[in-house]
Amino acid sequence: MRFQLNFKSGKPVYLQVVDQVKSAAASGAVQPGEPLPSIRPLAEELRVNRNTVAKAYAELESQGVIETVAGKGCFVRANHSPLKKAARLELVTQAVDEAVIQAHHLQVGKAEFLRLTEDRFEAFQHKRDRAARS
Amino acid sequence: MTPEPSVIEIDNLVRRYGSADAVNGLSLRVQPGRCYGFFGRNGAGKTTTIKCLLNLLRPTSGAVKVFGLDPARHEVAVKSRLAYVPDTVAFYPWMTVRDTLDYFASFRAHWNQRTEAALVDQFRLDLRQKTGRLSKGQRTQLALITAICPEPELLVLDEPTSGLDPIIRREFIRTVIGAYQDSDPGRRTVFVSTHLISEFEGLIDEFTIIEGGREVLTLDADVARARYQKIYAHFPDDPGTLDLAGAHVLRQRGRDVEVVVNGNSVEVMERLRLRSPETLTTEALTLEEIFVTTLQPGGAMV
Repeated sequence: MRFQLNFKSGKPVYLQVVDQVKSAAASGAVQPGEPLPSIRPLAEELRVNRNTVAKAYAELESQGVIETVAGKGCFVRANHSPLKKAARLELVTQAVDEAVIQAHHLQVGKAEFLRLTEDRFEAFQHKRDRAARS
Repeated sequence: MTPEPSVIEIDNLVRRYGSADAVNGLSLRVQPGRCYGFFGRNGAGKTTTIKCLLNLLRPTSGAVKVFGLDPARHEVAVKSRLAYVPDTVAFYPWMTVRDTLDYFASFRAHWNQRTEAALVDQFRLDLRQKTGRLSKGQRTQLALITAICPEPELLVLDEPTSGLDPIIRREFIRTVIGAYQDSDPGRRTVFVSTHLISEFEGLIDEFTIIEGGREVLTLDADVARARYQKIYAHFPDDPGTLDLAGAHVLRQRGRDVEVVVNGNSVEVMERLRLRSPETLTTEALTLEEIFVTTLQPGGAMV
């Protein structure tokens, strides 16, 4: 998979790596069982501290997105969340809250927001279908 | 669990040359496993500070400790655990690259031959070449090899990439990330002084900006990028006087306003929004932009 870091986003660098792996795994761009690049080459390629990549992978592992196989590396997991339903809902709620606040500031109303959400779900499904076919 | 002792501790360091203060009351702490940026303009006191860490200079007052030890009293104990790459590297010009590597290895209790071979190969250095005939870039590469092969717990870099071409600079940084941090990263600490900040952006965990021998700002790099934001607003008409208290105005011309904020972006954005701009965007400052913002005359964005 390809990573793109943006130091101007104001988001911690390790979180950018976490989010990009999560989104690639969710969209099917990386499939369960696929390996992630190991820490050293990825750090060298992105020109970031090794600890930053290690921290991102540790976070992905604790969220159940990837698993580390000793001596082999990190792999994307199939059914990934080990979290309880309530905890998962809580995480999604936080993300939705942020989007709602953003919508408010950009004067996007509730109806428009919900329509957009429908669209994005469809686009997401479409992307997954395409990844599954290829 | 007791917290690990700091690798570098500087307390109220003062170093005078004659009547001039090169360093004037500097304090900082570097935790193990971190990559610490030490940013300042030319003459800000970076090299003087580093020389005090290496016992090449004695502090006028204040204290420096490396691995918890006073480098003046425990010079060997300190120096055996660190390596230093200065901005200008000098070797004995009559020695070959091979001789030079052996010479440096002879002072070290430990020397990773595999790393040496890999880096000589990566940098395409000719082992039979006399060091007097190496280019500045090749001399820096050789210095980096002699610094990394002993696998020191602390790597001190003083303006390591200034005067090098961009390809050698990139390779230098890649080597610090890869070869140096590869084994036991929790005990691989980097202290890098530079004014070429953008190149080291991804590497830096935490940094101190110094000016006139004093600390101006010390922050975690991620925290700094979250806190320092540039806001751009474009209005349908000239907005006239805006309430921009708490923001540093970079530019206000006609319908465009660009400001830098420090931790209060939400509030400043809200005030700008009340004036109904057509465009309102925000982005984080890079470490280099934070450096410039912090040191500009009348900036006071700390």
